[in-house]
Order: sequence, then C-alpha cells, then structure tokens
Amino acid sequence: MSNFMNYIHFPIYSVMVLFLGAFLIVVLGKNKTLRSIIAVLSVSISLACMIALIKPVMVNGEVIAYWMGNRVPAGGYAIGIAMEVDALSLFFGLLISTAVFVSTVYSIQYMAHDENIPQYYTLLLMLAGGVMGLVLSGDIFNMFIMVEILTFAAVALTAFRNRVFGALEAAFKYLVVGCMGSTCILAGTIMLYANAHTLNFAQLSAIIPGNMNTSTKIAFALLFVGFSTKAFIVPFHPLAADAHGAAPASISVLISGVLTKSGIYGIIRLTYFLFQTMGLSTFQFLLVFIGCVSMFLCVTMALAQHDFKRLLAFHSISQIGYVLTAVGLFTAVGFSSGIYHALNHTLFKGLLFLAAGAVLHETGTTNLDELGGLSKKMPHTTVLFLIGAFSISGIPPFNGFASKWMIYQACYQKAVESGNIGYVLVTVICLVTSVLTLASFVKVSQSVFFGRLPEKYENVKEVSFGMRLAMGIFALLCVLTGLFPDLVGKYLTQPAATAAFNASSYIDAMLGEGYAASAMGPFLPAAQNVVFYEAGVWSPMSWLLIMCIVLLAITIVAVTSKYDRVSAVSSGEADAKHALFFSGEEAVYSQVGGSDLFWGFKHNWRHYFSFMHDLHSGILNDYALWAVVDLALVMLFMLIVL
Amino acid sequence: MITFNYIASFFLIALGFYTIITKFNLVKAVIGLSIADYGVNLLIISIGYVPGGTAPIFTQGEITQLSYFVDPIPQALTLTSIVIGACVTAMSMSLVMKLHESYGTLDTREIRRLHG
Amino acid sequence: MSVIVNALVDLGYILIFPGFLFCFLCGMLLCGIERKIVARMQKRVGPPILQPMYDFFKLCGKETIVPAVANKTVYLLAPIVGLAALVVIQLFIPVFNFTAFSGNADIIVILYLLLIPALAEIFGAAATGSPFAGVGLSREMVTIISCELPLVLVFLAVGKAVGNAVGSGVVFSMQTIASYQAEHGCLLLKPSMIPAAIAFLLTIPGETGTHPFDAAEAETEICEGMLAEYSGKPLAVYKLSHAVKMLTLTSLFVALFLGGLGTGVILVDGLINFFFCVVITICVVALMDASTARLKIEQLFKYYWTVVSGLAAISLVLAWYGL
Repeated sequence: MSNFMNYIHFPIYSVMVLFLGAFLIVVLGKNKTLRSIIAVLSVSISLACMIALIKPVMVNGEVIAYWMGNRVPAGGYAIGIAMEVDALSLFFGLLISTAVFVSTVYSIQYMAHDENIPQYYTLLLMLAGGVMGLVLSGDIFNMFIMVEILTFAAVALTAFRNRVFGALEAAFKYLVVGCMGSTCILAGTIMLYANAHTLNFAQLSAIIPGNMNTSTKIAFALLFVGFSTKAFIVPFHPLAADAHGAAPASISVLISGVLTKSGIYGIIRLTYFLFQTMGLSTFQFLLVFIGCVSMFLCVTMALAQHDFKRLLAFHSISQIGYVLTAVGLFTAVGFSSGIYHALNHTLFKGLLFLAAGAVLHETGTTNLDELGGLSKKMPHTTVLFLIGAFSISGIPPFNGFASKWMIYQACYQKAVESGNIGYVLVTVICLVTSVLTLASFVKVSQSVFFGRLPEKYENVKEVSFGMRLAMGIFALLCVLTGLFPDLVGKYLTQPAATAAFNASSYIDAMLGEGYAASAMGPFLPAAQNVVFYEAGVWSPMSWLLIMCIVLLAITIVAVTSKYDRVSAVSSGEADAKHALFFSGEEAVYSQVGGSDLFWGFKHNWRHYFSFMHDLHSGILNDYALWAVVDLALVMLFMLIVL
Repeated sequence: MITFNYIASFFLIALGFYTIITKFNLVKAVIGLSIADYGVNLLIISIGYVPGGTAPIFTQGEITQLSYFVDPIPQALTLTSIVIGACVTAMSMSLVMKLHESYGTLDTREIRRLHG
Repeated sequence: MSVIVNALVDLGYILIFPGFLFCFLCGMLLCGIERKIVARMQKRVGPPILQPMYDFFKLCGKETIVPAVANKTVYLLAPIVGLAALVVIQLFIPVFNFTAFSGNADIIVILYLLLIPALAEIFGAAATGSPFAGVGLSREMVTIISCELPLVLVFLAVGKAVGNAVGSGVVFSMQTIASYQAEHGCLLLKPSMIPAAIAFLLTIPGETGTHPFDAAEAETEICEGMLAEYSGKPLAVYKLSHAVKMLTLTSLFVALFLGGLGTGVILVDGLINFFFCVVITICVVALMDASTARLKIEQLFKYYWTVVSGLAAISLVLAWYGL
C-alpha cells in the first residue's frame, strides 16, 4: 500500500475533494464564512494536485494509470475502472482547475446578494467535479456519467436566477438538446461495448481501430455528435448563446471556459485515440470544415447582437472553431497551437465574462443600447476588460496573438504540405474572423465603457476588491502566457501534443508494456517523434522591449518641452470650454453605440443578417431538428468515408 | 428475439427524437426525451443477453468454468441509465412548471424570448 | 564591451534610422509633397513642402483641452501608443538589404502590428465621448475590416511566391524576401505578382485615409470624426502618425515588391527607398486624392471586398500553382 501522499493518488484526490466539498456544503452551508472556506479550500486543493502533477507527467513524460480498488488487469483484460492521466489530460485538468478556482473566488462577492447560495456552491462544485472526472477518466462509461453530472449541474446553474430574462427557457432548451446529445453518447458507448466487450478506454483503443464494422462506425457518429453537443459547435451554438446570456457571470466563465473544452477533449480522445482516424484527409476535412463554419458564422452572428453576454457567447463558439480547425489539421504544430488557443480562450473569455458580470452587478443591465460611458465610474474594470478585448482580438503582445499566429502558420504549412489550396482558404477565413472579432470588441468598448454616461448610472461605483482580484488573476495570466509562449510550449502544450500523437504509449501504460503491439498488430500507430520546428521568428519579449523604449523616447520629448499645457477639469464641472462640440445640435445628442455602430457594414450584409436572425428562431423544435439532421449527416459521412 | 429487441430499441430512440422535433408542447418534449432514454435502456440490456444464460448471481465457490450466464455489466449500465433518465425527467418537469408559471403557456412557439 | 556597443547601435537604430528621426523627417516630407502635388493638379499653388512640419510645431504650442466627459488617461495615452507602434513597424521593414531588427520581422506580425495605430486612434476617439467620434470610429473600423482581406491575400501570395522559389514551401520572414529579391530581381518583374502589387497600391489610400477612402475622417460630414475633440500636442502626434503611416506603407510596398534594387550602402539605400516612396505617393495617393470624390462607407467596403480582393486572390492562385 503506497503512501497516500504519493503523486499517483493526486488525480483521484482532485476529483473527490470537489465532490466532498459539494457534500459538505449541503450539510454545513448555512454559515457564510464556513461555506466560502469549504468552497475555496476544495478548489485550491484540486488545483494544487494538478500543479503537483506537472513534474512527473509533463516534464518526465510519465503516464499515470490508476486502477480503482486496485483491480489491475487479469489475463490481459481490463476488469476494473481506471483513471489515466497523460499529458493531454493533465493539460485540460490544469485549465479547468484554474478556471474553477478563479470563478469560485469571484462568486464569493458576486453571488452575495442572491438567495439559495448553499445550493449554488454545491452545484458549482459538482460541475467542477464532473468536468475533472471527465478529463481524468480512463473508462468510457465513467466519462458518460461525468458528462451527465456536468450537464445537470450546468442546467441547474443556468436557471439559478429564475427571474432573469430568459433563464428558465435557456435552461430548458439546454437540457433537452443536451440530453439528446448524452443519449447519443450512451448509445455509442454501448455499441462499442457490444463490439469489444470492454469499457476501458485504452483497451478499446487497442481493439476498435483494427475491427471497424458498420456498428462501430455508427457508434463513432453517435459519440462524435454527442461530444459536439457538449462543445457547442455548429449547429448546437444557439444553446450556448442562450445559456451564457442567462447564467450568472461566474457560471458563464465555466460554461465557456470549461464545458466547451470538455467537449473538445472528448472529440480529441475519440479521433486521436479511440478510433485513430485522423490520418485520413477526408476526416481532417470534416473537423476543419466544422471548425471554419463555427468560426465564421458565430462571429458574424455576434456582430448583430444587442446583449453583452450573448455577444460574448457567440465569440466563445467562434474561438472554439479556431481550436477545432487547428486540432483537425493533424500536424504537431497544428495540434499544439490548437490546445494553446484553448488555454488562452479560457483565460481571456473568463476575464471578459467576469467584466460583463461586474457591469451587470453595478448597473443591472447588459443591453448594449442602454449602457455607455462607464469608464469614468469603473476604471479598473475598463482596463481589465480592455486587456481581455485585446487578447481575444489577437493584438500583440497578448496571448491571443501568440496562439492565433501559430494557428495561421500551421494552416498555411498544411496547405503547402498537402498541396491543397483549400487550406489557404482556411487561413484567410481565420484571419478575417480575427479582424471581425476586433470589430465586435471595439463596438462593445464604445457601447459600454466609452461614450456618454446615461443619467441613471450616475451612482455606479467600482466593483468590490474580490471581484477585481479574480479579474486581475485572469488578466495577469493572459499577459504572462502571451509574453512567454516558448515556456508554455515546453511545459504545457508540447507534452500534450506529443501524448496525442503517441496513442500506443497511452495504451501500454494502462495494460502493460507491449500490449498495444500484440493486440493491434498491423494497425499499430507509429510512435512519432513529434518535432516542433521553430514556427516563425516572433519573440515577444524583445518586441515589448523595443516598444517600451520608443514609448519612453516619445514621452520624454513630450514632457520636457516648454509648451506643455493640458487643460482639463475634474468631472462634474461643465463649462463651455470643456464641453463637447455638437455644432449647435445638443438637443438631439444621443450615445452612438450598440446598434448604431457599423451601420454601413451591416447594410451591405443585410440579407445575410436577416436570414440568420430568422434562422435562430428560439424555438426548441428547430434546435432539436438541427441536432438530428447533424446526427444523420455525420452518420452518413462516417459510413461512406471510413 | 434479440434482433427484434434491437429494431425496437432503435425505433424507440427515433420515435423519441421525432416527438421532440414535431410536438409543440413542452411536456411532450419531455416525454420524447424519456422515450429516447427507454430505447437506449432496451438496447443496453439486449446487448448483454446470452441465449440460455442464467441470472449472473453466484455465491463464492458456486461459479465454475461451465457456468453460463448473461453479461452482468450491461445490467449495471442499465440501472445507472434508468436513474439518469429519472433525474432528467425530474429536472425537466420542474423547469416546465416554472416556465408555465412565468410565461403562462406550454407552447414552444411562444417560449422564444431568446432568439436571433 | 561589445554588449554596450550593440545596445548603443540598437538605440541608434531606434532613435535615428530607420527609427524615430527618419520617420519624422521623411513622413512629413511625404505628406508635404503629397499636398503640393494635389494642389498643383488642382491648379493651385499649394502650401510649401515643409508645411506639415510647421503645422506640427504650431500644434505643439497650442493648449490641449480635454473634454469634461472624456477619459483623460486614454485620451492622452492613445496617440503616443499609436505612434510608437508605427515606429516599431518601421524598424522591422527592411531597407533593401539592411534590416534593423531582423529577428522579429515576419509578415503576419507586421499585419497585426498595422492594426495597432488604427486601434489607438479608435480608442482615443472612443475616450473623448463625442458622438462625431463615435460615428468616425465606426467607419474607421469598417475601413479596417475592408482593408484587411486584400492585405491578407497579398501577403499570402508574396509568401508563397518567394517560398516556391526558395523551395521551403512558404516564407513569412521579411529578411528572406529581401535577400531573395536581392538575388533574383524584384518581385514586380514576375507577372503573377502584378495583380497583388496593384491590390496593395489600392489598399494604401484606404489605410492612410485619403480620398476616395476617407469616409472615416470626413471633414465635411462629421467634423473630422475621430479627431473632433483633439487639440494641441495629442493632435500633433496624431497628424504625425498619419504621416508616418504613409511612409510605413509605401516602404512596405518597396520592400515587398521593389526589393533588390539597392546598392549595399545604407545611406544610398535609404535615399533610393525614399525616392520610391515619393514616386508611389505621387502616382497613387496624390493622383487618387486629387481626382476622386469620397466613397460612402458601404461602397468602400464593397469595393475592397470585391475588386481589390479579387485582384489579390488572382495573384494568390497564380502563385499557388507556381506561375
């Protein structure tokens, strides 16, 4: 019996401490301080366990195979339930535990005025436990159970504030279509079991790829569509838009940063490990196509939105489109840039949702047409929001630029290697989506933070310190991951990408050395020595240094010259000299923001925008129809192609 | 017998999804979801069936090389799935109740304040 | 010792050539030449060539009036950030065979860095809180979106054309493009690159905001839009940014399409580079400025995304298939 502080126990600790915390809060939750302490303690322990695993798993390349109840395989057959942590699982585990930690810290102040707060924390910890269980699990039915746990918790949290506009309907639609997806996952799992008579992921990965028949292909389609529902990619994106907009901001952080990643994790495990079909160029085309459609469609939908959080939700799915496109390229650089972008997306989207929550907390609304001029009242929130906005638009030197730049390089390199001009179109779509994202965030900045402050918000104050601390943590991480992409690559994304391309080591760790070779025979995936060539010559630190020197030079010149008269008044005093220029039409002055911006652009695309607006009708039956049509098309694709 | 089970289970799943798509009442959508769940449960339990096998309940020492029993794992999976189905029904019906309370109607064509 | 010498040399690059001082002088000269040529084309005498410099020093002496509703920090900081980003881009663009900071020069990076000055102007405008600034920044953002697609296609086409010849598939490094052109002659001589060159030349007025693509700062419609509430030193810095942007874009054109014509001596190269910039400014920017009217913003968008992008796409397809 090994020492209980041995690191191989850390995966199960990080999952169970979250569930245990949820249980303790049900029992002890009436007391406010006790509740906050239990919540923060459980997520911190979970995060600490994940960080402690970096050295053995990422640096030393070990794969931790942990059999529950010590039921090790007998006779080459897996008879127990296992957890397996390789670099890919640990990467997602780190991402998730960081997001959960920051969201919990934020919730303490943000949810302080709600009712039923103990239930909120219970559901939050259940959600966190479910997602951690999903990424650390090595058994496919266990993954299904965790998917159900996280769906329930997410639905309940979406509907948490019953009286918010549309919360109940968003939760109901999410529940119905989400459970349709879960049913597909279950059906797929069972069909795989019928073929292989095992539920262990590693053993399935050894048996299934060499023995594909019609039922496994249908199972693949079912599993793929089920995990797509969890990841909210097209055509499941309206659920995301509704759920993000209605949920409390700390939960929106988790839905966009954690749930979507769990869906992407599932898709990666399916395509790279379980079915190992990524070598087929038609299959790469499927993932890249879905990714590009998600990217472009959602960013154009976002430009037409009037609600701050709904806009952020569409951008979330657009960035997930980037991740899926990069993962679908099946190159080392593509995969590592895709998951790097997944990490960055959690960070900057979390920051943006927290800023939206801060605005909602102070003003009571997120309608872009009604807000304005909040930078004077909430200066810290403005700065933090701008960091998030620059990150998502891909402005150097923030993290969005680093990962997007790697994605462009990967796409164009793939175009050259495969000789297929279609990938050039993918690169162009990525770049154009990036600039449209920038346009959306300029619109949001102008509508919410700059411009004219309406009278009813004269008494708005800055948010409390706890909320700003949470936003500050995300902002700091955004800047750090942007300035040191080589460190992030060496310790986080490259080990994960190496793990993804080496499925046989995953199988061997679970079932013993040489199992993969003996069980799979000619279908053994080659242990690839994944080479990460120096993608481009971008060095953020030296660029930042040059920029600082230039700024310093200009500032010195500006400050030391003799003619330096800046005339400004403190806010509130309005005299003619410091008033705005209206050319005599002050009576008709209104805030130029929200729907007024980009009029020319929207006019050019008015047919497209009205078509899209009518298509996203909000009726549950339409969304269910899209789900079933997607399932049918993917099933047809799998049967024909594989 | 067993092929009939498979056909029936896929029919139930398809029927469940069809109900969700075509019926405009929230309660009928929940019923459709439940029917799909039952179809999957039938599928699971049918996969474990071995013709002529007994129930997989043995005491210590009773099980021999010649014991012929149905597969116990799908039975465990089915139980889990039934429980999950019950939870889904419970949560969705409570949401339907609250929706009726705040919107006054159960028609999905009316419950669309979030659109576009 | 050599570290200190290297640091001083780098500082020299940043402050004198091709950095701050070079940008200031040459940008202002380009701006002045453009105004003079436009005036002559319109049968006027026009201001002296050094007029933008006189304007700059005059504005520096004026009082900066910050509106009461404005966000003072962003208002004062945005012009400086924009100018700094432009100077940094200029440092990365090779002057024939000489690059100041070759380690960072990469086409996609330059594409993104070009967004920063426009973004700085947009945020400066947003910070003032003026409605005219709101309309102006909306139009400027649509102009950025319109110009981005042709620029992307041009850069990808150039990268592929050089990559085909060098044999490594695709090249994104500016230094490789410069050295390739030094050996094989400028890219403009390749017939497949001519549509891309025309597309890039058409993008220059859009990026710098001259007629007919200056809907964003339409003086007669929205009182100069984004700069409506600016005065004094910040306004001087913005005018300087416009001038430097013209220099940056024209020297980018020279580096991408007219490389390989240098002599190797830095000073002479600099003069030849500047000469080409002047020629492009006269022939393209001034000509269009003097002879066209202003396009509406939706016409601008449509023009860029159909005609100009179409030209660049033709070049990309031709370069792709190795022609």
